[in-house]
Amino acid sequence: VITLYTALAVGAVLFGVGLYGALSQTNLVMIMMGVEVMLGAAMVNLVAFWRFLHPDAFSGQMFVLIVMTVMALEMAVGFGVGTARFRSKGSVEMEEARDLKG
Amino acid sequence: MSLGLIPLFLPVAAPLATALAVLSLRRAPAVAPWLALAGAFVALAGSGSLLVGAAGGSTLQDRLPGLPGYPLRLVAEPETALLSVLVAAVSALVLVYAVGYMRGEEGQTRFFSGMSLFAAAMQALVLAGDWVLLLAAWEIIGFASWLLIGFYLESDSARRGATRAFLYTRTADLGLYLGVFVLISASGTSEIAGTMSVSGPAAVLAGLGLLLAAVGKSAQTPLSGWLSDAMSGPTPVSALLHSATLVSAGAILLIRAYPLLTPGVLLAVGLAGGVTAVVAGLTALAERDLKRLLAASTAGQYGFMLLAVGAGFPAAALFHLVAHAAMKSTLFLGAGVFQHERGSTAFSELEGAGRDRKTAYAGFAVAGLALAGVPPLAGFFSKDAILAAAFESGYAVVLGPLALIGTLLTGLYVGRALGLLLGPSRTSGSADRERTGGLGWMYAGLTGLAAAAAVLGAAKAPISALLGAELPESLIVAAVGLLLAVVGISAGWIVSADRLLGPLREPAARGFCVAGGFDGLFARPALVVASAVDRADAGLHRGVVAVGGAALALAEVSRLTDEGGIDRVIGGLVRGARSLGARVRSLQSGLVHRELALATIGGALILAVLAAGAVLGLSGG
Repeated sequence: VITLYTALAVGAVLFGVGLYGALSQTNLVMIMMGVEVMLGAAMVNLVAFWRFLHPDAFSGQMFVLIVMTVMALEMAVGFGVGTARFRSKGSVEMEEARDLKG
Repeated sequence: MSLGLIPLFLPVAAPLATALAVLSLRRAPAVAPWLALAGAFVALAGSGSLLVGAAGGSTLQDRLPGLPGYPLRLVAEPETALLSVLVAAVSALVLVYAVGYMRGEEGQTRFFSGMSLFAAAMQALVLAGDWVLLLAAWEIIGFASWLLIGFYLESDSARRGATRAFLYTRTADLGLYLGVFVLISASGTSEIAGTMSVSGPAAVLAGLGLLLAAVGKSAQTPLSGWLSDAMSGPTPVSALLHSATLVSAGAILLIRAYPLLTPGVLLAVGLAGGVTAVVAGLTALAERDLKRLLAASTAGQYGFMLLAVGAGFPAAALFHLVAHAAMKSTLFLGAGVFQHERGSTAFSELEGAGRDRKTAYAGFAVAGLALAGVPPLAGFFSKDAILAAAFESGYAVVLGPLALIGTLLTGLYVGRALGLLLGPSRTSGSADRERTGGLGWMYAGLTGLAAAAAVLGAAKAPISALLGAELPESLIVAAVGLLLAVVGISAGWIVSADRLLGPLREPAARGFCVAGGFDGLFARPALVVASAVDRADAGLHRGVVAVGGAALALAEVSRLTDEGGIDRVIGGLVRGARSLGARVRSLQSGLVHRELALATIGGALILAVLAAGAVLGLSGG
């Protein structure tokens, strides 16, 4: 049977995988995929807390829906930036993108 | 203005119009003497008709717009009408003389307009019915005399004498201002007749103020020094100034203000006059210059008039004023003839001048003997009246002897002058012949005045009746006075001034400088006050400068604090923020993964701190 701790452990593993992915990759798409995984881990935790600790309050579900919306928006903006970057520079390697250095 | 009032304005308006006409016709100086003569005789006609009217018992007066509430008044009552005639007659005859005297001189326009202005101002003064007009006339007289005494602009002594005369009389004029203001504020009217009822302390104060003004204007001791220096002007100016205008203004003021004077003030007036009669007599005896002798004599004779006022007989003073005007102008005119003859008025040059100019000497002698008080000439009667007045007054013990000594001294200096002029002639008499033109005019004026000096004694009864005041007379006093005069004339003729005066000669020749004279009484105190004020001012200046210096020092301190303290602190902050910014900027590599790593580390640190806080809080709780 699945317990709260099992769910939290799955969330923690997912978050660690996502963090590693975001930090180790140099491609913008891969970094964004890492961030998605981290957000997914956060959603697993939120759902687990709602399901096992406060099954009567629906604000936890609402929170998850908002996070999903944020993920969709992030994807849209992130891929927009990536497409524009690729069109102008021909690459989305973040090691080469130092234009914002002050 | 009704036609009947025209004579009231003529004496003032005619000379004034003349002065303006002469000035406006300055391109034609040749007409100046004729215009001046015409103005003088028109004024004389006006004055004469005033006197006739006044003798008939009618008093003319008129108001002119003046200060608000204080209209200017002209009034012709017996006293003022008599003085007006005197001024008009003397100035007319002196102008006749001046036509000859000034012939060939530069500056005819200046001279004749000045003389006319002088006469107009004097007429305004004697006819004034209110204090404001009198004050104005008084000032114009001072100004005109300054113009005329300084007529020979190129001469240093003339300029100095004019300024000196002006300053002396101006200083004493403050007394007149004081008196007039006190009178007007005490009585509420500026009409002279209306202020005569003022009494109490106001009357004493006003009386003393008027006395000060009269002492300055009439050159009484101790303010007599200017009169001798004023001799630098042309001789007709001296004649006019000494007989009927400037100097007589002081005596006229006191005669007119007589009802106002309290017994104490009267005593002061009498003493001032008596002392001057003696002191000025000694000065005259010691002088080495004919005109300066006459000047000192003038001061002495006005001393007699003040003495008579002080004794309580203003009518006697007025009579002597009239007689003296004729005598003294004659003496000056004679002196002017001798001056033209010899080119100087020093006795050393003039000795024997009378032998060359017998007509002038005759006029001079008549006036001199009259001045000394020899019958039947005018001076005998007027001086007799004054001597009698002195002995009838309440202070006969003081005033009587002073008057007698003054009479003796008058005889002495008249005798001395007459003797020296007739003495052995030193020069050939041809020294300055070219300047003797115009003698006819000069003799005409001289003769007219000498005749007046001779016969004015007969006017005693009419004048007495006109003024409605009995003139004092006393047979014994007259006899003593005559004796003293005769003794004086003979002694002065025979004995030299050095032997008569002995050790007194030198101080007398310097005019004694009683109490330091003007210099001691006014000039030096004024200088002391001025230097004290200067020192106070310098101290104040130093104080202000010190305050300014302190403010500058304070500003400097605050500037240093500002630059060294606050600015440095702010500068330090700015530098600190910059260097911090520089260091922080080196973190900004622009590498995304590095930023991410930093964000992760930061997030982990925050998490660790929160977790530690939660653990500690739990264990603490």
